[in-house]
Amino acid sequence: MIKHIFKLIWNKRRSNALILIEIFLAFLVLFAVLSYVIYNMRMLSAPLGFETKDKWMVYLDDLSSKDSLEVLEMKNTLHRELLNLDNIESVSYTENINPYSGNQSRTGGDAMGFNISSLLAFVDSDFANALDMNVVQGRWFQEEDLNSTYPSIILNQAFIDEYFGGKNMIDSMLLFRGEHKVIGVVDAFRYLGEFSENQPHAFYQVPRHSKEANNLVLGMAPNTPAAYEEKVNNLISDITKSSSFIIKNIDQMKKSDSRDTWIPLIALLSICGFLCINVALGLFGVLWYNINKRRGEIGLRRAVGAHSSDISKQFIFEILILTFIAVFLGIFFAIQVPLLKIGPLEPINMYYAIAISTGIILTLVTLCALHPSWQASKLHPATALHED
Amino acid sequence: MIQLENVSKVYRTKTIETTALNEINLTISEGEFVSIMGPSGCGKSTLLNVIGLLDEPTEGKITVAGESVQNYNSKATSKFRNQKLGFIFQSFHLIPDLSVIDNVELPLLYRNVSAKERKELSAAALESVGLKNRMDHFPSQLSGGQKQRVAIARAIVGNPAILLADEPTGNLDSHMGNEVMDILLKLNQEQNTTIVMVTHDENMAKRTNRLLRLYDGSQVA
Repeated sequence: MIKHIFKLIWNKRRSNALILIEIFLAFLVLFAVLSYVIYNMRMLSAPLGFETKDKWMVYLDDLSSKDSLEVLEMKNTLHRELLNLDNIESVSYTENINPYSGNQSRTGGDAMGFNISSLLAFVDSDFANALDMNVVQGRWFQEEDLNSTYPSIILNQAFIDEYFGGKNMIDSMLLFRGEHKVIGVVDAFRYLGEFSENQPHAFYQVPRHSKEANNLVLGMAPNTPAAYEEKVNNLISDITKSSSFIIKNIDQMKKSDSRDTWIPLIALLSICGFLCINVALGLFGVLWYNINKRRGEIGLRRAVGAHSSDISKQFIFEILILTFIAVFLGIFFAIQVPLLKIGPLEPINMYYAIAISTGIILTLVTLCALHPSWQASKLHPATALHED
Repeated sequence: MIQLENVSKVYRTKTIETTALNEINLTISEGEFVSIMGPSGCGKSTLLNVIGLLDEPTEGKITVAGESVQNYNSKATSKFRNQKLGFIFQSFHLIPDLSVIDNVELPLLYRNVSAKERKELSAAALESVGLKNRMDHFPSQLSGGQKQRVAIARAIVGNPAILLADEPTGNLDSHMGNEVMDILLKLNQEQNTTIVMVTHDENMAKRTNRLLRLYDGSQVA
């Protein structure tokens, strides 16, 4: 029977070509959109490496022009007084690489005999605690590390995996922006947002009183109200004698940042949804038309011994075989993209997209074919033969 | 071979009730060639459809090839049509997208016959109607007479006991009509196939063993 259906499809290749092209193009569009969506969903589901709930950022004025002793005293006072507030659990000073700041500091070189490229962050010993970062190996910086023979460095897991094959690097010396001793590994630090890649990242320790470390990360008590910002604002204002600093809620920054990705993502998914509806309506119409055009054939097949189930199976198989051909062509072209490493996305996203697109197209076609095929099988043979 | 006892067929809509067959009693013996005549709308095709299990009678009992068939379920009816009956239609009903041999082997597809055997049997059926050299042609490349011969080959390929022909010469000129009629007579005489033929042509009807006349759904002769 399958051979018979193949013959029918081949002999009607001109009229089938349009359906084939429609399914093929729908597959390619789905593949492209789903690759992008899957990439973003995988990013979204990966750990950020830090908490955003009940975390605040404070951007202080530029301190570089101020007297060093004055800055030292002011920063120590601010650190102490902030920690004295009921709702503040931790306080950390950092340079300008902070969650959702949009700033990037990157360096690369081949000092170790091979090329290393990494994002950098300059933070103090309270940074991991303030952001609830997950240290998976070794430990975070301590104040005493600033006085050790070799300055300390902390890496993220992506750094270790990318350049050292995932091996244990604790207590190893790393020649990267000078000679550093690796003291800890964090699982991730995707500070550019939940849709950003988990790139290799290195953390360098800066003293709390550094003039460049003019940002504060505040770890707040759970469910601290927004109104508490006034109290923090007054305290900072009193100590810094300035009112031009900015306080931001990291969770709100995260939501605002995510919106920029969600909007095009939802727009693309909506377009994809409309495409699927259009394809479904098109297929449904074509199948209805074909079945009405073939009423005589249906009557004849019933007359020569086909059961009603043979008729519905035949129509479903016909469209499924066409779909398999179109999807096979689609896969052939789509798979070239990950194989030839075209585009910025990781191949795994595209393999998932190919599998899901195939599933969606096959389900869509089967659903569209079910009703017309069932109607065809219910045609009364005498009526169908008489009408033709 | 075929026995109809008080068979009636009534088509009902919400407002109209049409009696297509009215208490038909008929016995057709094995190897008989019977023609059915009557004016348009008298129920000839309905009678043929009822005998061919393409339509169900409203009342009455039908026995075909020794089997009481009106209580058959849908699957058994399809199997019976496939194995015992062959159909020939006025408008040929060939599938335009299939070659001549593929059209002929259609009944065997629903009988789970191997591809090789299907091809052999179809070629033999086509040879018996003189069209073996047209096996790979498509219906659009054939004349009306040739199309009807292909339809006859399709009807006989499964070696059915009964052939039901609904105006097989109706769309053909007299020369081609006679050719088709010759084939049917040969099948009846040489293979003892029982044939029931609906026709409007008195000359064709005269060549059969028995003539049955219908008028307004009732048997008048």
